[in-house]
Amino acid sequence: MTETLLSVGIDIGTSTTQLILSELSIENIASVFTIPRVSIKDKKVIFKSDIIFTPILENNLIDSDGIKAFVEQQYKKAGITKSDIQTGAVIITGETVRKENAQAVAKALSGFAGDFVVATAGPDLESIIAGKGAGTYSYSESQYTTAVNFDIGGGTTNLVVFNNGDIEDTACFDIGGRLIKVDTSEIIRYISPKVKEIIKREALEIHLNEKINLKELDKLLAIFVQVLENSIGLGEKSPYFDLLITNKALSTKIQMKCISFSGGVADGITKDPIQNPFKYGDIGLLLGKKISGSLLMTDLKLIPTVETIRATVVGAGSHTTDVSGSTITYKEDILPLKNIPILQLSKDDESADNSGNLGSIIEEKVKWFMVDGEVQTIGLGIEGAHSPSFQFIQSLAKEMIKGLDLLIKEKLPLVIIVKEDMAKALGHSLYANLPKDYPFVCIDSVHVRNGDYIDIGMPIAEGSVLPVIVKTLVFN
Amino acid sequence: MDELNLKEMIKSILNEMVNEVPPVINSPSKEATVNTRQTANSCVVEEGFIPDITEVDIRKQFLVPNAADKEGYLKMKSYTPARLGLWRTGTRYLTEPSLRFRADHAAAQDAVFSYVNEDLIKQMGFVEVATECKDKDEYVTRPDLGRKFSNEAINTIKNAVKPNQKVQVIVGDGLSSAAIEANIRDVLPSLQQGLKMFGLDFGQVVFIKHCRVPAMDPIGEATGAEVVCLFIGERPGLVTAESMSAYIAYKPTVGMPEARRTVVSNIHRQGTPAVEAGAYIAEIIKRMLDKKVSGLDLKEK
Repeated sequence: MTETLLSVGIDIGTSTTQLILSELSIENIASVFTIPRVSIKDKKVIFKSDIIFTPILENNLIDSDGIKAFVEQQYKKAGITKSDIQTGAVIITGETVRKENAQAVAKALSGFAGDFVVATAGPDLESIIAGKGAGTYSYSESQYTTAVNFDIGGGTTNLVVFNNGDIEDTACFDIGGRLIKVDTSEIIRYISPKVKEIIKREALEIHLNEKINLKELDKLLAIFVQVLENSIGLGEKSPYFDLLITNKALSTKIQMKCISFSGGVADGITKDPIQNPFKYGDIGLLLGKKISGSLLMTDLKLIPTVETIRATVVGAGSHTTDVSGSTITYKEDILPLKNIPILQLSKDDESADNSGNLGSIIEEKVKWFMVDGEVQTIGLGIEGAHSPSFQFIQSLAKEMIKGLDLLIKEKLPLVIIVKEDMAKALGHSLYANLPKDYPFVCIDSVHVRNGDYIDIGMPIAEGSVLPVIVKTLVFN
Repeated sequence: MDELNLKEMIKSILNEMVNEVPPVINSPSKEATVNTRQTANSCVVEEGFIPDITEVDIRKQFLVPNAADKEGYLKMKSYTPARLGLWRTGTRYLTEPSLRFRADHAAAQDAVFSYVNEDLIKQMGFVEVATECKDKDEYVTRPDLGRKFSNEAINTIKNAVKPNQKVQVIVGDGLSSAAIEANIRDVLPSLQQGLKMFGLDFGQVVFIKHCRVPAMDPIGEATGAEVVCLFIGERPGLVTAESMSAYIAYKPTVGMPEARRTVVSNIHRQGTPAVEAGAYIAEIIKRMLDKKVSGLDLKEK
């Protein structure tokens, strides 16, 4: 019994925009004699779009109509319509995120691309998605090793560290192939603000509207590569390290064993001589060349990636959707739910000492999510207990209902996300204690954190599971 | 296999493990002598206890010295209850894994040969009957008797339960009394709560001593219940002795094909939690009542 989901991934990056369609196979892997265990068995990319330069308007905003036209055209080319799309994600990455209309464009596009296509952005999520699309995540899981992926795009380099198939840490640096752009006669037409500052401090002979000087450029590339080495603790620390951090550097102390590269620049990481270094009107090829001679190539084991320039878009299309546990409770008419902020209880909150006042703890925290004095729907995340007693579930349900009273008064749907396998029994307990036919969703085997948002789609696999997308929405 | 055979088998397994080394107390080894003398000298009663070796989580136990990749091995171990990475001395197990093996085996045996605590049966308010088996030995050797009842037993059941109910719940010891003791308190209220979501309920629960799965069939016939749901202890293994199954059938009859039973197995701490199983079974029962079939016929609907 295999069911497939058609998923779309759209990546609007600093330099390029692309789209892929992916087929996710959903299968019940449990035997006939146990309760179902539905999971995503296979992910297959079935269509890859052309790669276009991201359309940007005169006023430096994203050209929403241009992107819509591209999506429409690619759907036509793939022979599908919007209504065929069941899930997926639009991700705005790199420097594009910092455009004023980024959030508005992402939201508009998500509805335009399909009913349950979500908008995501933020350097952390981008790093993770790229690392999954590149195949580094699977490598770390199957080989039980630690691996770091560098997704080097036009504007940013996104790092993600995976440890035995777990996400360990992420980082992002303003290093990319299109921080300097040149025209066909190799005249410099654009220099990014941070690069301007480095040029000034180093007194490099690199100036707008002048022909690019390879020797001077090499000094700049050396700084970029040194910062990249520094980012995983290699080499002597560059004075520009802090300047080039986008949001944060890695903080993990874990020893990294393997390294992989994705993003457009990854294709340029080669020792072979370059015929035409400014073929793409930027410094990407030369940056790749410089990296090929760096400590990054010698100090760690280099592992191949399954995608380079398409890593992020494949990650968005194939690796953002997950499925909930198979024993869950929900009222179908409130689905799909989108952009529900997560309130994750801490371990302390859930400890046995608090069993009597968990309700008031929840109530207190629900107030953090009040906007202009009004409560909004939140996803209440809890760890739960392994193989809990019925008594435990009963009292937990009662405390939750007490704690969520503000929402219940407003007749807002309740969204409960449990990590341990207990959502069906908990859901039944909630049902028994809530007003008749009160709308709620109670799912398990999904891990969420504070600051995450969750989207929950329409039931699949004969209603036994719900597709979920957990995301971090950070717009700078 | 009868008790005698079982004991023989265990003896031979254990002999293989310890290779018939005589008990330490008879050996004149230096260590033993030292120990004896120490005990003789200090007759102090210590406060304390020997740690319970069965409390150790085997999935997290790792005894390989100087492993090349301990973390990787532990990650693999987390997916299986198999006794991996417990190292050896010469060609044999180390002391702790060896004792643990014996302890787990003993627990499995106890689960088969012990009875469900009478207090639990009273506390849960079950009506107790037994099949035609006289004792555990006969229960183990005569599966045919573990599915039959005397007229007297049938009358007891008829007097205790309401006829022609939608749902009749039965609890049977099966091959593991420990499974019933570990799970029944959580699975029944969870099932009841789940059924309530659909406006259903179950009445008087019947408990069967020396119970085989098909014992649910004559009870189905005698009570006229639409759906019969039997919770029964599974044959214990070395991983757990507390695994319970639910066999559920729509209007079961004596001699019906086994394919008409729907089964939910592996209900225990490391498998499906009892509360989740109860909630899930409620939905199966609801589907059975709607479709009026069970087992493979239900899957095909």
